[in-house]
Amino acid sequence: MKRLIGLILTMSALTAHAIAQEQGHLNVTTFVQKEEVSVNTAGEAETQLVEATTVVPGDRVVYTITFRNISDDAAENVVITNPIAASLTYIDGSAFGPGTEIQFSVDGGNSFAERGALTVDENGDVRPAEAKDFTHIRWVMQQDLAVGAQGMARFSAVLN
Amino acid sequence: MRTASQRRASALLRMCATACACATLALCNLAAAAGTPAGTVIENTATVSFDLGDGPLSLDSNTTTITVVERLDVAVTLQSPQTLVSAGDADSALLFTITNTGNGSESFQLAIDSLLAGDDFDPVPAVPAIYFDTDGSGDFNVGDQAYTAGVNDPLLAADASIDVFLVNNIPGSATNGDLGFSQLTATATTGTGAPGTEYAGQGDGGVNAIVGTSSGSSAAIGEYFVSEVQIDIVKTQAVTDPFGGSQPVPGATITYTITVEVTSAGTAAASVLADPIPTYTTYVPNSITLNASALSDSADADAGEFDVATDPMVVVRLGDLTLADGVQSIVFQVTID
Repeated sequence: MKRLIGLILTMSALTAHAIAQEQGHLNVTTFVQKEEVSVNTAGEAETQLVEATTVVPGDRVVYTITFRNISDDAAENVVITNPIAASLTYIDGSAFGPGTEIQFSVDGGNSFAERGALTVDENGDVRPAEAKDFTHIRWVMQQDLAVGAQGMARFSAVLN
Repeated sequence: MRTASQRRASALLRMCATACACATLALCNLAAAAGTPAGTVIENTATVSFDLGDGPLSLDSNTTTITVVERLDVAVTLQSPQTLVSAGDADSALLFTITNTGNGSESFQLAIDSLLAGDDFDPVPAVPAIYFDTDGSGDFNVGDQAYTAGVNDPLLAADASIDVFLVNNIPGSATNGDLGFSQLTATATTGTGAPGTEYAGQGDGGVNAIVGTSSGSSAAIGEYFVSEVQIDIVKTQAVTDPFGGSQPVPGATITYTITVEVTSAGTAAASVLADPIPTYTTYVPNSITLNASALSDSADADAGEFDVATDPMVVVRLGDLTLADGVQSIVFQVTID
């Protein structure tokens, strides 16, 4: 019986997603690029962002999330959350998002705090969190997203 | 119809996918050395939550997918120190380690080159010339399996390594102090090229393979040094009789002085001087000195001892001696029975 309730809850959550997407309240898209270093005619190294479909260990990838309010109402409490895959390590200082406060999680997205406020408990040994500890990033918009307005969030990570 | 245990298993998997991004730290570190395995698919979905005045809503973005391709990289390192040989030596081995520093499983082709510039003589590769350290001893011996190109190219998982010997004969014409080089090269079977060169579909599980910073090939050079060391050993004696003279009579003391000196290029490795006590004499306890420093009679940390065996002898370990070490002087005394 319990399982059935769980199933119904999951379904209703899915339905909420589906409705939001159908009604187009907010449009959110993400894309991933990687840094490609080339040498220009002057012999200088140049870094370019190119579309990423394949990567090798050591590659630096950049995730960009864009969102737009396509509803008829201002959106309050807009929060973008993005996981950092286990095989990626966040590059410290790379998270960026105009008009947002950036927070991180070290516990799989259960709790979030600002960069400096996070600690990691290693067998009772509490130390400040490092970039490699982050499992999720979230961008908390400080103001409402007006009708038709667009926002952007971005971060970089290196492939382990 | 899934069983209860299957359900438990899939629930655990889900937990791992979300919660323990790096909870299994040991595992993460293990993977970090060679990097994320080839074929890994990294998906990313952002979530936006918001409120349009009717309560909180949440939306997922599209999902981006990137695939980790195989990076072809290898490192060959020499394990042997400079190997001391004599002219005409057969089957002298150099030990190397080959490590797959890429992120996929790869086989490597091995090659020997003993015709290198910059040395004094060319070692002559034995036939066959490349062996695996099959018994893991670090020493070349009969149990070690020969390598045949294209037949038993070593297949190494990401981060795995294997020890390999190059076996050469030293020409009889090599002379003392000569240096001879021999090189081992390991080359990724999938391919080589400038870093970034791509081999479509040839990586693990059909992903692309890309040549890494090693260019897919690595080499290391070992050195043979011809060292036919010339050692001069001179033994002298001085007799002091109980009557103030120098007659070898019973009760007289004989002081032996032995000098050891390397007089050529090369190293006399782990030199040991062993001198039996003559018959009809008795060793004078605590009389051994090395370069005027006393050595105790017991077998302990210092360089010498009086070995009370069937044939009692004075033993002094001189270590690795070269021309630069000069004269080593050992003195001890006996009395005539």
